[in-house]
Amino acid sequence: MSDDIQNPDRRKFLTVLGAAGGGALALSGCSSGRAEKLIPYLVQSEDQVPGVPTWYAGTCTECASACGVHVKTREGRAIKVEGNPEHPVNRGKLCARGQASLQALYNPDRVRGPMLRSGGALKPITWDDAIARLAAEVGKAGRRVAAISGAGRGTFSDLLAEWIGAAGGRVTRYEAFDHEPLRIANRQVFGTDELPAHDFGKAQYIVSFGADFLDTWLSPMANQRGFAESHGFADGRMSKHVYFGPRASLTGLNADEWHAITPGSEAALALAFANVVAGAAGGAGALGGSLAAYTPEMAAKETGLPAATIVRLAREFAAAKPSLAVAGGIASQHRNAAEVCAAVNVLNAVAGNVGQTVLFGADLPVADGYQAMAELMAAMDAGQVGVLLVHESNPVFTLPASAGFAARLRKVPFKVSTSLVHDETTELCDLLIPNLHAFERWDDARPLAGVYSLMQPVMEPVFPTMGTVPKATHTGMVGTWTDAPATVGVSTGDVLLQAGRKLGGAFARFTAPTFQDYLKTAWQGLAPEQGGGAFDDFWRAALARGGVFPERPATPAPGVAASLTSVTYTKPAFDGDGEWVFAPYPHSFLYDGRGANRPWLLENPDPVTKITWDSWIEVSPATAARLDVRRGEVIRLVSPHGSVTGPVWIHEGLHDGVVAMPIGFGHTAYGRYATGRGANALDLLGAPGNAPFVSYLSTRVRIEKLNTWKPVATTEGTPRQLGRGLAEAMPFAAAAKGLTVREAYLEAAGVHEGEEHTTTEVKAIRGWRQDQIEMRKLGDYAVAQPSWGMSIDLAKCTGCSACVTACYAENNIPTVGYDEVLRGREMSWMRIERYWEGGGDTGAPIQARFVPMLCQHCENAPCEPVCPVYAAYHTADGLNGQVYNRCVGTRYCGNNCPYKVRYFNWYKYNQTAFPEPLDLQLNPDVTVRARGVMEKCTMCVQRIRRAQHEARLEDRPIRDGEFMTACAQSCPSNAIVFGDARDPESRVARLRQDPRGYHILEETNTRPAITYLAEVLHGAEA
Amino acid sequence: MAVIAPNFTITQTHADVTRDVIATLERPNRGYYLALFGAVGLFLIGLVTFVVLLHDGLGHAGYTPPVMWAVYITTFVFWVGIGHAGTLISAILYLFRSPWRTAVYRATEAMTVFAVMTAGLFPIIHIGRQWVFYWLLPYPNQRYLWPNFKSPLMWDVFAISTYLTVSTTFLIFGLIPDVAAVRDKATGWRKFIYGQLSLGWQGTDTQWRHYSRAYLYLAALATPLVLSVHSVVSWDFASSIVPGWHGTIFAPYFVAGAIYSGIGMVLTLLIPLRKALRLEHMITEYHFDNLAKLTLLTGCILFYAYSMEYFVAWYSGNTFEQTTFYLRPFGPDWWAGWAMITCNAFVSQLLWFRKIRTNLTALFVISIFINIGMWFERYVIIASSLANDYMPWAWDHRLNPTWADWGILAGSFGWFGMYFLLFARTFPIVAIQEIKEMIPLPRRRAGGGHHS
Repeated sequence: MSDDIQNPDRRKFLTVLGAAGGGALALSGCSSGRAEKLIPYLVQSEDQVPGVPTWYAGTCTECASACGVHVKTREGRAIKVEGNPEHPVNRGKLCARGQASLQALYNPDRVRGPMLRSGGALKPITWDDAIARLAAEVGKAGRRVAAISGAGRGTFSDLLAEWIGAAGGRVTRYEAFDHEPLRIANRQVFGTDELPAHDFGKAQYIVSFGADFLDTWLSPMANQRGFAESHGFADGRMSKHVYFGPRASLTGLNADEWHAITPGSEAALALAFANVVAGAAGGAGALGGSLAAYTPEMAAKETGLPAATIVRLAREFAAAKPSLAVAGGIASQHRNAAEVCAAVNVLNAVAGNVGQTVLFGADLPVADGYQAMAELMAAMDAGQVGVLLVHESNPVFTLPASAGFAARLRKVPFKVSTSLVHDETTELCDLLIPNLHAFERWDDARPLAGVYSLMQPVMEPVFPTMGTVPKATHTGMVGTWTDAPATVGVSTGDVLLQAGRKLGGAFARFTAPTFQDYLKTAWQGLAPEQGGGAFDDFWRAALARGGVFPERPATPAPGVAASLTSVTYTKPAFDGDGEWVFAPYPHSFLYDGRGANRPWLLENPDPVTKITWDSWIEVSPATAARLDVRRGEVIRLVSPHGSVTGPVWIHEGLHDGVVAMPIGFGHTAYGRYATGRGANALDLLGAPGNAPFVSYLSTRVRIEKLNTWKPVATTEGTPRQLGRGLAEAMPFAAAAKGLTVREAYLEAAGVHEGEEHTTTEVKAIRGWRQDQIEMRKLGDYAVAQPSWGMSIDLAKCTGCSACVTACYAENNIPTVGYDEVLRGREMSWMRIERYWEGGGDTGAPIQARFVPMLCQHCENAPCEPVCPVYAAYHTADGLNGQVYNRCVGTRYCGNNCPYKVRYFNWYKYNQTAFPEPLDLQLNPDVTVRARGVMEKCTMCVQRIRRAQHEARLEDRPIRDGEFMTACAQSCPSNAIVFGDARDPESRVARLRQDPRGYHILEETNTRPAITYLAEVLHGAEA
Repeated sequence: MAVIAPNFTITQTHADVTRDVIATLERPNRGYYLALFGAVGLFLIGLVTFVVLLHDGLGHAGYTPPVMWAVYITTFVFWVGIGHAGTLISAILYLFRSPWRTAVYRATEAMTVFAVMTAGLFPIIHIGRQWVFYWLLPYPNQRYLWPNFKSPLMWDVFAISTYLTVSTTFLIFGLIPDVAAVRDKATGWRKFIYGQLSLGWQGTDTQWRHYSRAYLYLAALATPLVLSVHSVVSWDFASSIVPGWHGTIFAPYFVAGAIYSGIGMVLTLLIPLRKALRLEHMITEYHFDNLAKLTLLTGCILFYAYSMEYFVAWYSGNTFEQTTFYLRPFGPDWWAGWAMITCNAFVSQLLWFRKIRTNLTALFVISIFINIGMWFERYVIIASSLANDYMPWAWDHRLNPTWADWGILAGSFGWFGMYFLLFARTFPIVAIQEIKEMIPLPRRRAGGGHHS
């Protein structure tokens, strides 16, 4: 294999499968590296066995946190992305957005090749012409060259910076959600410019001042893993989580206590906390004086919370060691957001959390902040930019229109985009040289200090990106390669290198023939650090592992900067005089809008509202009552800077003075799925001007009723449990005592076991139970077989819905679209039900209970006997099977399923959901269901069977945890555990014995294979 | 004997009866053709709808999961139910020697066969993969696949096919002497066809003896089906665990409802038909009075069953049942719930009054209410129970029937009406031989004869 790498002719083909032979080496044996086209095995490469998946390590590029991934390929196509268990950022887990990166790879709207604007429209040109044109324009522009890139940090961004530097310009690293307030506050309080890591797993008490750390704040996977570690109930212990913010976001709904506070008052509250904590610790040093002003009473006035509550929570916070306070969420990014972050920094410092749970030295990737963008825009205005290269960034959409980026962009004579699809920025560009997707190219990322996370091509590019495919003469054995064109499968890195060669001069230093060589050269310098040895061995090991993951270096915790003598709180200003503060927040899945062209993300219901496929406007029940608006009534929000319309959604977890709206919708370009879908919340924002960051929470709006309706495609039915005990929960005290759900209930009701039934009733119940046990024995004809089961810990589940997208990806579940979701026809085998507790007239605070609901694989399944053709049947290993080929579609099983987890193919979804090339993602191990048949969760039977086959080949029993269902594999908080319940040593068997365990709808005697562990409430009463 | 009306003596001769009945088979008027074209038109609408469903999938219909059965199964049960009145009248009343059935039984029996033919289409229309409907049948096949006899849907297949076979046989068999009578009056190719259909009937004593014996046995065979078929249909629901379906009361409740709806349909068909075919002197107020009494009886049983459903739901203490039954009259589908209760339980109570029972206009209006009410009964039981069962999260997608639902419903009426109208023109709609048996003289054999 190393011969191939040495051979420059072959290198051209290294973006095809064999190229990643290093990755394949460790994961599935050695590669010959020889493959021509991927699909027909005219020459079969050794690591490609039809039917056997090959896994490659890589890095997710969906956000700057750069999680490590394993990409599963089958027959030369990436079909599934899973977290890399060794990767320090995500440890094997992956969020919905990461899972959906496959739909960016196979997006039907991906640009096929370079395009040049002529006559107003972008027209295809050849790669050679595109590169020549780029070189010519850069040469012509002299020093007036600039670039915009995302916050991703790695070898490519080094090359880009160096290349643009050679041209005399500079790169502006722009990220819409750049966490600039945090950096400002860190400079101010700790005197450091970096973004720290946060150890949620260690924290005993977590307070978030509007930071949505579970989905959009810094490194969500790492945060969520840590949060589940500390906040998931284990061994009688769990941390407590308190969330302050005007809106109960996903993070807010996972809090034991969510408190709606006046928008913009977080700093007062954080400082009051610091004051109380400092008081408890006996003074706060130099800051003591300035903190004294922030009494709980003062904070109470600002936030609208009772002072007693503030004192209680602050004391709890002070008592817990270590604790963690976080701030700087996008949804609470108002004009004084830096003050909030500074206040929270002070709070962490006072509570002694810095170095404990706030870990400096982690050095998360950062963007340059809005100020740099403003400077660039000024330069564009002044005609100082002749050529602008926009890479992995869509500022025309992600900046508020009022920032005027589009107008400035138009002034640039020559704009180049590397976007994979036609987005809003590309629409204004003159030259489009599409990059390769992260799974098709070489690169690396540096998500944390010392961590080098590699990307490698796991497959040939979906679209032939450049020139012709090499010709081969097939002799039946090994292909004889003829001269290949010089330009095959190039990423933007290769484009830059080739354009550099054409330019010469200052670009002469870019001697690497391909970007892969450039990358390897960069890594040469890394090898000695890693203990020396041959570079090839090091390189191959790194590729197999996914990068270099050293232990996190311990850095001394910075103290509060001596220069910091006072901290301040000022009320942020809001534009306009509307009655409501407008609170746009990043959509959990669309993020800054980049997810809007992926059907998986559009159909995965928003974790809070459960709305799919369109945008909405959240109002509080009081606001709705006052305006007399109902769900689905279209209203218009008017700020001094613009207006948006959308259907109303009534959210009980919303401050009465606030209306909220997700960011990420309202694209005017960006492909068929995104374009024209919903409204862009950023249209209401004013120009940031000279501010260092974009203030999202910065306008007031008034509401106009339009007297029109637009149905909201939500998957939520009745969001109340109606006393049915679906999502059980018990107080922390009861859980810590080891009570069962029932005991906890009886204890709370003041009833003692046995009292609630008469002797006759008890006898009858016992007799019935005994009968059931006897009958089960009769039916248990497969004693030697495993009995697959699952446990779902509701104390850990955050409702993030990563499992949902994982299930779509693994099981070829079609997306059905807005109209069909409106009719309740979504096919999601796994759904996260979100029931409300409290709120309404109860007087209790609103709380959410998340229940992942999937086929329960009932031992006594109601769906099985009613099927007239045995399509629904029970397998010997405890699965509730569904034979698609046998199903005639009577749908009786669906009617008789009390859990409502059977889904019917009303139309030919299999033909409409996967326009080319999205169909290339389909998992060949799973049937694509035709119209007219029922489908449902199979507990990933294809994974079970594969594991069984492998175990048999190796003549060993299956090891517990050797494989998992897709949902369990992806679950960032490890709430889902899958295994053989008959094996008493398995994790699932032990979890099923947990006192918190219960079955949903147990009274129907379905005997589900899924055991839920009740949520544990750590609220005010605990 | 009260064949035509109490204290009514038939003054007509055998020849008169033959003449009057056969007159119904002569060239019909414009109204008949209009009705027939209407029926065929409706049928074509249904056919086109079905083709679209076959091509695209069931999605065009208004299914909103968890409501996986809706208008089609509603209409299926509706048509199966319709059939039952016919068998009740032709077979059970025959065995009970209730001679007032004579004038109406042929029409009701034909209605039974066509209603079951209509109903039989629905299991095929409503399944997801219509082209493999035969997998529901236990036919020998290379794959050794056998249907699941535990499934109520299998029972259904047998119940419906048995019912269709027996009621068709019963109808055709009963027609033999009448077809022979028509044959005797017919000319040309008609004579040939009726001749074939009359199976060589000569009206000999031996033939009559065999005929009446066989008719009795067939009636005995058909009788249990009145109870069994709709009981089996009810078990499609009762043997599930869906609240609102899972009730032990279902079998008798459904049978009573079936007869109720069937008589409703008989009234709807006969009242215009007797006028159109000028059979007023044979099908009289007396018949309608009796039919109305039967309606009243079954209506009262339904009233009782409805009340009992609510009582059991309350008494069970089962929250799922209670929610379902609370939502029937007060939930989002309240209008359907009230349509069912009003049309079936309340409207039928009007029939306590003889004046109403003998007022054909009133009866006709009431019969329409019965048809509507019974359709809604099934709609409520099927669709609204499914809409609110165990998981509240799955609720609140209100069933919203579409053109595809209405198209198939209309088509089913067209299909039924088409056959019924063609039958009424082709075969004696009033049983000639049974009427003739009522004529006192001449006796076939002194002191003998059967049931005269």
